[in-house]
Amino acid sequence: MSAVASTLPISRPRRRTGAVVRALALAESRRMLRNPLLWAGAGLSVWMMWSVVPEPADEWPGASYEGMAVCVVPLLFAVSVVSAVSFHRERLEVAAEAPVRETQRTVARLVATLPLLLVTVAYAALLAWRQRDLGGLSLGMEPGRTTEALSTTAELAQPVVLTVLAVATGAALGRRLPLVSAVPLLFVMWFLVSVYWLFGDAAITPLSILQVQPVRLHAGSPYADPLDFPTHWLLEGPGEFSAQWSRVFVSGALAWWHAVWLLGLSTLWVAVAVPRGRGRRWLVAAGSFLAVVGVVAQYLVFP
Amino acid sequence: MTIAPLQQAALPTARAIRWAPLLGVSGLLLVVLLLARSADRPVDVVLALASAALASVVVAALHDPAAALLAAVPVSAMQRRVLRLTLVLLPVLALWWVSTVISDSSPGTGNPVPLLALAAAGVAVAVWSPPHLGVLVGAFVPVAWYALDTTVPGAGVLSDVAGWWHTAPGAVLAVALLVLVAGRRR
Repeated sequence: MSAVASTLPISRPRRRTGAVVRALALAESRRMLRNPLLWAGAGLSVWMMWSVVPEPADEWPGASYEGMAVCVVPLLFAVSVVSAVSFHRERLEVAAEAPVRETQRTVARLVATLPLLLVTVAYAALLAWRQRDLGGLSLGMEPGRTTEALSTTAELAQPVVLTVLAVATGAALGRRLPLVSAVPLLFVMWFLVSVYWLFGDAAITPLSILQVQPVRLHAGSPYADPLDFPTHWLLEGPGEFSAQWSRVFVSGALAWWHAVWLLGLSTLWVAVAVPRGRGRRWLVAAGSFLAVVGVVAQYLVFP
Repeated sequence: MTIAPLQQAALPTARAIRWAPLLGVSGLLLVVLLLARSADRPVDVVLALASAALASVVVAALHDPAAALLAAVPVSAMQRRVLRLTLVLLPVLALWWVSTVISDSSPGTGNPVPLLALAAAGVAVAVWSPPHLGVLVGAFVPVAWYALDTTVPGAGVLSDVAGWWHTAPGAVLAVALLVLVAGRRR
């Protein structure tokens, strides 16, 4: 049936195609927002985030700062599943006389996910407010310690960019696999991502999905005098997780270039969801370019 | 139980099961476990996640697009489910053993009973749910339970209940099996 549809002449007026795409986008958007799983994921993420409080001075510094970054994972999983449910409907063939082709329907479904981005923007805004309400979080240890650390704008933007990736991943798996097969894969992907300390090394973090800052960089041997380090550095001393003095590195530039890497991955996933053809080839090329630029730039950001 | 038809159906059923989710989940888990092992990081969290993911894959293997067509055959739906579960549990348990060997985990975390408990709970929900949604809902149970366990903060009744799948897996497995026995004609 798809082969027959692809040979039909394109004779429909563009205005009717645009109207159909808008109508489908609105219908799918309403369905997504009415999915209880989306709000369950959002609720879990907010609950997790709200339960994070600054750790006592004698506990590992940075636990709360890093813990807040991970709380978005249930929301991302829910967004992926909601997107997969929408694109799963595309697995049913439509008649050759359908008013729009699959490509236009895919665009409509992607446009329909814009409200999901707004949900995540609201989550990021709530996270920023919560950090300020707590008076900031602690990072580092004396003599390089702060108790008023706030996530940078770039770090706050990461949940929004991750939502784009969640939509794209859900779209690809929902379009190409039955939902019962997509759910375990999406679960493993997003909850493995939450084991962020596995991907926190400076060599690996540019390639991670959920990049949790700060990154620890070598500062000096365990016998170094921390007073000799630059005064603006945040520091962590030798302990259970490191045998050396480390610089606790937080960078907005690193986070922004990581967003470029994530957008590249998202574009590649969308290429899996769209039909074969010129569109897919352009998406693969663009996604690959963005991914490579994002990764290389992140490595260049490190001092 | 009619054994001969199930034996004859074993190979065609194995061909009909979608193995892509198991392969995908296995690949991701093994890569992360190797990464954790090489970085000398604790792997207990990854193994717990693997339990939930593999349990979801086990339940997802119940998905049979021909289920309505097969409703008229003399082999009952529960017998066909048992056949599918047996076929998928063998590689899943083998993968679980490989994962525990690779991760060189602490004693107790290599116990497969939590995995079986989550899978049994998911299958029980799938059996009692409406037929057109049962398997999807059942496949969600292990992942939702894990997500609830990892996100519910602090101590309390909800936190205790959310942790039953690994603090009392034997009891969860027993209750799920009783529910399945009660639904054996569904």
